[in-house]
Amino acid sequence: MIIAERKPIGRILQMIAPFKKVAVIGCRGCVAICSAGGDREVETVAAALRLARKREGRPLETVEDTFVRQCDPEYLTPLEELRKEVEAVVSLACGVGVNLAADLYPDLKIYPGVDTSFYGANPSLGEWEEKCRGCGDCIIDFTGGLCPIARCAKNLLNGPCGGSQGGRCEIRPEVACVWHQIYERLKARGEVEKLTQIWPAKNWIPAGHGGPRERVRPDLQFNNNSKK
Amino acid sequence: MSGWKIAILCCHYTNEATAEDVADIPAQIEIRRFPCSGRIEVADILRAFENDAEAVLVAGCERGSCHNRSGSLRAEKRVEAARKILEEIGMEPERVQMAFIPRLDTGAFVAAAKDTFEKLLEISPKGETTS
Repeated sequence: MIIAERKPIGRILQMIAPFKKVAVIGCRGCVAICSAGGDREVETVAAALRLARKREGRPLETVEDTFVRQCDPEYLTPLEELRKEVEAVVSLACGVGVNLAADLYPDLKIYPGVDTSFYGANPSLGEWEEKCRGCGDCIIDFTGGLCPIARCAKNLLNGPCGGSQGGRCEIRPEVACVWHQIYERLKARGEVEKLTQIWPAKNWIPAGHGGPRERVRPDLQFNNNSKK
Repeated sequence: MSGWKIAILCCHYTNEATAEDVADIPAQIEIRRFPCSGRIEVADILRAFENDAEAVLVAGCERGSCHNRSGSLRAEKRVEAARKILEEIGMEPERVQMAFIPRLDTGAFVAAAKDTFEKLLEISPKGETTS
């Protein structure tokens, strides 16, 4: 999922300083799962903004809502009505949601309430770890399912750097050396010979060399009424 | 009575104290009960300040004695999160206090409320309010 983290309240207050009534909008997708932008976080951020503004002597009125998703146009349609009711919107969705809303509603003043951080997993409650960098040319078939681009501090593609000790990363010893893990994993799977193969040079073009990346499925494009 | 207002957000099972038990504290005390202190959200704490409380006491069961095992430990973490937000908006984090109270011990409950009031006196000795 996409992992995000709440921006400092002071930063959000700067964004909405001119306004008296704003909507704080969460998303029940990834940011709800990673506890950055779901219903509870909407309540918390809205309460914090109101409290801060009350102390400044400039009360703020908030409208709170959480959409099913903010990365699909159909789920953003409530903004059509909401934008008539408020002066601005603080979105707790990831950057994808804020971008799409800004694309669809050019006159809407929408501001990000979270920093979009990484693609990660939730290995245990309250913890999220980066697992993928979205480089567009997945090589984890060579590496036992573990991504050295996302999980090696030096993004190495040809084995450990030589600085790791005892299976720990030299940059952050609390993190496992992913190349050590790759070796152990491939050995356990009986695939360690994969490390002896010469890989083709990694293709970095899909990583975003030419601006925003797109994916098209022509068979799904019929009856497409989305605004674009 | 001073113009201070203290909100106590409390686990229903921790204590049955009433406004009479805390009547000696020279502040307006508002007690709000929850099914478990683990159910108290950061937003509940912030809303108490929004509703003119100068300090908030979150009271949960003693560590290890929570009806729901970890409710009061969760509440403690929420108090930390609320303190961080208060700091971010320029309020003293000490305005939120956490107390672990032995079950049904009204004396300990009242003592925690008094401690919260004394902490408030240190923070705003002249009765400066948050709003």
